[in-house]
Amino acid sequence: MRKFILPLTIVCIISGFFLAFQLKIQTNNTNFDAVSQKSANLINVIQALEKEIEKQEDQIESMRNQLNKIQNQNNRGKLQDLQQELLRAKIDAGLTSVIGKGIVITLDDNKEGLNAAPNDDPNKYIIHYEHILNMVNELKIGGAEAIAVNGQRLVTTSEIRCVGNLILVNMTRIAPPFVISAIGSPKLMLESISLGQLELLKSAHYPISVEEKEELIIPAYKGELQFKSAVSI
Amino acid sequence: MWPILPLLGLIIGVYLGSNFSYQLPPIYIKYMSIAVLASLDSVFGGIKAVLKNTFDGAILLTGFFTNALLAALLAYLGDRLGVDLYYAAIFAFGVRIFQNLASIRHHVITSFRAKRTSARGEKSD
Repeated sequence: MRKFILPLTIVCIISGFFLAFQLKIQTNNTNFDAVSQKSANLINVIQALEKEIEKQEDQIESMRNQLNKIQNQNNRGKLQDLQQELLRAKIDAGLTSVIGKGIVITLDDNKEGLNAAPNDDPNKYIIHYEHILNMVNELKIGGAEAIAVNGQRLVTTSEIRCVGNLILVNMTRIAPPFVISAIGSPKLMLESISLGQLELLKSAHYPISVEEKEELIIPAYKGELQFKSAVSI
Repeated sequence: MWPILPLLGLIIGVYLGSNFSYQLPPIYIKYMSIAVLASLDSVFGGIKAVLKNTFDGAILLTGFFTNALLAALLAYLGDRLGVDLYYAAIFAFGVRIFQNLASIRHHVITSFRAKRTSARGEKSD
């Protein structure tokens, strides 16, 4: 009757170990199901990549600043004209922070409307990328010289696009409330948006506010701006 | 006297498991649950075998490891194929645990009755 004791003890140790370990895991993370785990992993990957992008953008910015310093040091004679031309080109390209009078538009999802009608289609109550895109277009028609959406400077290569339930600007995720700042003539820009998107959104009861500002700072474009295929003629 | 050592083993195992601080990647939690069932199945299978006098240590241990491996393999294959094959393993282990428990109960009750009737028989004689 003695021979079974050792194997049974071994199996008991193992099963006790597994039981306790599993219990510990289960109490530690309550949201246990394959789908949410998978998406949690994906979110981790995305967040890591976004951090990397941010880092590299900062690197680009610091290198640009360094370049500016070096260029400003040799600021004499003919070079000065060229420097000014370069500065103009950079302002045009959106590679410098700019300051000036302009307007700030703040858009947000119509949460109150959605709460009041919870059975209605939520799509009717959230800000979509088209709203921002149209608003930006109308600001441009109104003569906006520099535009940023949630701090993302719009340049020639900038996109405003929808990915699932997010909006990407300059390949960066942005979330409500959306702040569109534009430098230019406040009067012209206000007229331009009042005829279109602003009025539409107001009539749909989105919480929206427009502010005129005497001094508005719009940040520089941080991302990459390279022309690999296009050559000037 | 004989259940003391395995019981002690169980306690030691629980102690080790609750002090084991390894962060299991969440994807493998599924495999852990199968391992728990496989080991429980082996424990009950072993007890049953002891009561029926058919116990063989080699069979118990190899059975435990091959069952666990097969179940893990099934779960992995299921993951690859998009079919939750690991339910098959859980089901199989669950059924076996119930069967083992049932036969342990049967054995305990019948042996208990046999003892009582024999004791009575001795008295009445």
